[in-house]
Amino acid sequence: MDGPTVEREDRSLRPLTGEFWAAVDRGELVRPVCGDCGRSFFVPQFSCPQCQSANWSYQPSSGRGRVYSCTTVHRPPTPAFEAPYVLADVDVEEGWHLLTWIVGCEPSEVAIDMAVSVRFVAGPDGHRLPAFAPEEQEAAR
Amino acid sequence: MSGPHLLQQAAIVGVAATEMARRLDTTSAEISLRAALAALDDAGLTVADVDGVAARWPGPGGTVFQPGSADWADVFGHPLRWVCDTYPQGVPAALDAAAAVAAGLCEVALVFGGQAGAMGGAAVADYTRPDNEFIACWGSLTAAQFALVAQVYRHRFAPDPERVAAIAAAIRSAGSDNPAAVMAGRGPYTAADVLASPMVAEPFRMLDLCLATEGAAAMVITTAERARDLRQRPVAILGGGSEWHRQQYVNPPRYDEVWGLGADAARRAFALAGLGPQDADVFELYDINTYEVVRQFEMLGLCSEGEGADYLWEAGVGVEGRHPLNTDGGLLSYSHIGWGGPTLKVVEAVRQLRGTAGSGQVADAEVALVTGAGAGAQYHNVMVLGRG
Repeated sequence: MDGPTVEREDRSLRPLTGEFWAAVDRGELVRPVCGDCGRSFFVPQFSCPQCQSANWSYQPSSGRGRVYSCTTVHRPPTPAFEAPYVLADVDVEEGWHLLTWIVGCEPSEVAIDMAVSVRFVAGPDGHRLPAFAPEEQEAAR
Repeated sequence: MSGPHLLQQAAIVGVAATEMARRLDTTSAEISLRAALAALDDAGLTVADVDGVAARWPGPGGTVFQPGSADWADVFGHPLRWVCDTYPQGVPAALDAAAAVAAGLCEVALVFGGQAGAMGGAAVADYTRPDNEFIACWGSLTAAQFALVAQVYRHRFAPDPERVAAIAAAIRSAGSDNPAAVMAGRGPYTAADVLASPMVAEPFRMLDLCLATEGAAAMVITTAERARDLRQRPVAILGGGSEWHRQQYVNPPRYDEVWGLGADAARRAFALAGLGPQDADVFELYDINTYEVVRQFEMLGLCSEGEGADYLWEAGVGVEGRHPLNTDGGLLSYSHIGWGGPTLKVVEAVRQLRGTAGSGQVADAEVALVTGAGAGAQYHNVMVLGRG
């Protein structure tokens, strides 16, 4: 859409989550890993949800996972989103999960338990987002 | 235990709901006050009797400070002894208010709220568009959060879509018969109508999902002792409980964590009441979507996981059925009013127990079950009410 250029927020400055978004901007997926108990968790919190330690850091993720659940949205909450799109809760193989999109295939092809891997796409505000695509398609590229 | 439980030393003595519509040409404050005054009048009380308030302060005027309930002291023109902003509606507020009056923190607690002039022409209410940075960027909304739970259920149990849709049709038909409902006269509905409505977020079609409307609701809670001298036959709070799994709209709800949400609260509520879910004569359940109704009958233990749609198909959810359900038309068809929707459930349950529920009256209803929130919201609450 043409219009006045709006200066986008620098997501890397966000408290707690800046490193996550900075990695996304570089095309990398990271997740918080507890330095004491080893637990991966998401969303980022100031302390580990398993042992309450603040001694955690962002570590690279393989970006491979499986669809825990998915729903195709036909009526978006705001006009910024173009329907249909597939919202999914993806279990990533290091033992954490996140809300995301499944892209790279028709919505009707997305199924629970499907193997997926991360793919960086543009979000509604132009910022990069970590979406996921079917694993087979990724391997065929 | 000797004597009644603390919760049972309080009673609901007044209820009210204003007119309901898609849009009302007034303010949230004005409509909320109108509901509050009507509930007091229903009880035979006045503003001067109120010494406890659970409400949101919507402005204009006042401040943005918490507790907003204290802003209402200026409207009522006298000081208060107890305020409760934590969750000032529905089951949690009724339980908090009951505990407050039973403990002597105040004597007459007024719980009220709603919305008007608030929807601003949006397709969905702003409270259904979460602003968390890991949710909002994906275009999630309340319906989609609940859909993520329902999709796992469908994947595992493949419920008959017609039997699920029949539940929405029954609730919406009850709303069609209720002259006060936003969707009054729009039915009756069949399962086929529900299945033919536009898809919103799979598996939810438009007619599976609740309204986003305007209006307000209120309830008055006082001691059982004072209740005896008031205008209405009191309604007793027999038991209640809440479960807060986690904050909503931060992490997506997961079927394996939330499908049974409320089971512990329901066990505690019915244990206090000395009853079981099979003893409820009428069910005013939080029907933010059709699958949530299925879920709650499974959560209550009235049927097994995966069998809810078949169970309700056979049991019947109409006024003549085994489990009369959302007799006012519920959130699907009567109204859903922001900070007042959960209170509407209590209002209808109280009217059922008084025998004044109108088109949806269940004959000789003595025990009513009221619930709030749900799996996609990641918290749930349960209250058992009885004829006083």
